[in-house]
Amino acid sequence: MTLAMQPIDRVRAFPPRLTEFTQRFWQGLGNGRFETTRCEECGRLSFPPKPFCPHCWSARIVWTPLRGRGKLYSQTMVHAAPAVFEHEIPYRVGIVDLDEGLRIATRVLATVEPKLDMAVEIIVLNYRDGPLFAARRCPELPA
Amino acid sequence: MTRDVAILGAAVLPVAKWQQPRDAALQVLEHEVLAKIVIEAVADAGIDKSEVSSLAFAQPRPYTQQKYFATFMANYLRLPCTGSVQEILGNGMTAALAFEAAANDIRLGRSRVALALGINWESAIPAVEHMMNSMRATGDVDFHAPFGFTPISWYAMDAARYIHEFKSSREELATVAVKNRRHASLNPIAQFRKPISLEDVLAQKPIVEPLGLYEVPPRGDGAACIVLVDEDVAKASGRPYVRVRGSGFFHEGAHQINEVPNDMIALVSAQRAGQAAYLEAGVTASDIDLAELYAPCTIIEVLASEALGLVPRGQGGRLCAEGATSLGGRIPICTSGGLQSRGHPAHVTPFYGFFEVWEQLTGRAGRRQVANARLAVSSAELGNYNAAMIHVLEGVR
Repeated sequence: MTLAMQPIDRVRAFPPRLTEFTQRFWQGLGNGRFETTRCEECGRLSFPPKPFCPHCWSARIVWTPLRGRGKLYSQTMVHAAPAVFEHEIPYRVGIVDLDEGLRIATRVLATVEPKLDMAVEIIVLNYRDGPLFAARRCPELPA
Repeated sequence: MTRDVAILGAAVLPVAKWQQPRDAALQVLEHEVLAKIVIEAVADAGIDKSEVSSLAFAQPRPYTQQKYFATFMANYLRLPCTGSVQEILGNGMTAALAFEAAANDIRLGRSRVALALGINWESAIPAVEHMMNSMRATGDVDFHAPFGFTPISWYAMDAARYIHEFKSSREELATVAVKNRRHASLNPIAQFRKPISLEDVLAQKPIVEPLGLYEVPPRGDGAACIVLVDEDVAKASGRPYVRVRGSGFFHEGAHQINEVPNDMIALVSAQRAGQAAYLEAGVTASDIDLAELYAPCTIIEVLASEALGLVPRGQGGRLCAEGATSLGGRIPICTSGGLQSRGHPAHVTPFYGFFEVWEQLTGRAGRRQVANARLAVSSAELGNYNAAMIHVLEGVR
């Protein structure tokens, strides 16, 4: 499953740092792959991906793909932003509950105020210096 | 066997913009201001300087040039201590943790008189620059901050969810700001005291939708000193005092959002910490006469009052609009004016909460006085109420 991609012709305002462990997530994201870690002991997923399971502290984790579908739990439009984001205001951020049972925070792309609990998909924002992700309304109606 | 703790005196600086720009020829400096407040608080308690043996400081903002501020102040005030001298940090909860550290020295018998104190200087730092710091404190630097979340954006998302789930409205939530300004108009140490109408609140520019300027905290500076003593010292003083009846703490093990989807607006930490504090105090929410809640935004006052059982779930907004949480109402909340109007010098904000409770429970709140107030609850939190510290306090006169 590959995420839709949207090129953005500027660099990220506050790029994430990469580690030997997390670089797989960000590099994969840049190629449309959205994935996280799952524990082989207790079976639970984690997000952000972690080199151990936060639930049982096992080190036996595996990478697993995420569908990139979920529901918009909440959202806001930010009008007062830190210096590095000032040129982007106003912009929307939100909280998405992924179908796999994970809650994430992300940018939200919408031209009008989105309704909460609506179905959303995660897409890749490909900036000049690397990717971020964002949520937008699902093209199809929710099942 | 631990000792019982009482508040015997307190002093605060009126919340305002005190900090001078970096290039100003004359500065208003933290140590000079705080020293004056300490001397005032200790005099208020009727305590001699030599009796003070623990100092628990709220850590100043990173803009305070003097580092290791606690030990610097022990020198500046010439205060040798046998209990402890420490500087504590826990985001918005900082001052409540400092209060607890001072209380713990008394509970353990290490001190009979302990000061919980601090100063928060930040207003001359432009908001866009300050937020470069605070966005890294209220989110994951790599998985939240890159999207542009700000500290209050999380509260805004609480508001959106609350409106969605409970058929509330921005108008209903905005009544909290009107009520708090009315309270602040009666409080000489409040930052904003001119009464405002609901129309005024709704007409402000949006900051984090649905919240506008008057529904989020202003920026300001503050300083405070609370004098905590062994209850035996308080009893022997013959003065009115405030007894710490119970305290509770809970951190949900999550930072801003729980990666396992939960009911974000239930504020589980406030629920759990509140239950622990009520249990220790041997009271229930219905026994409480007033509440001084740590609520940076209007919505958070509503959610915290629900989580602490002061109002029923989903009805906090409506009950505020109806006046139940106003002075003279069934359960007055934030009689100080709260964080929107009393002000929010974040690292010392919970001290101002204790100060309001101290004034109310000793009958010194003037025109804000809640008649016959005996039991109060106070809260402090960090993140998006991911952790809460709750105190139940009792006036003894």
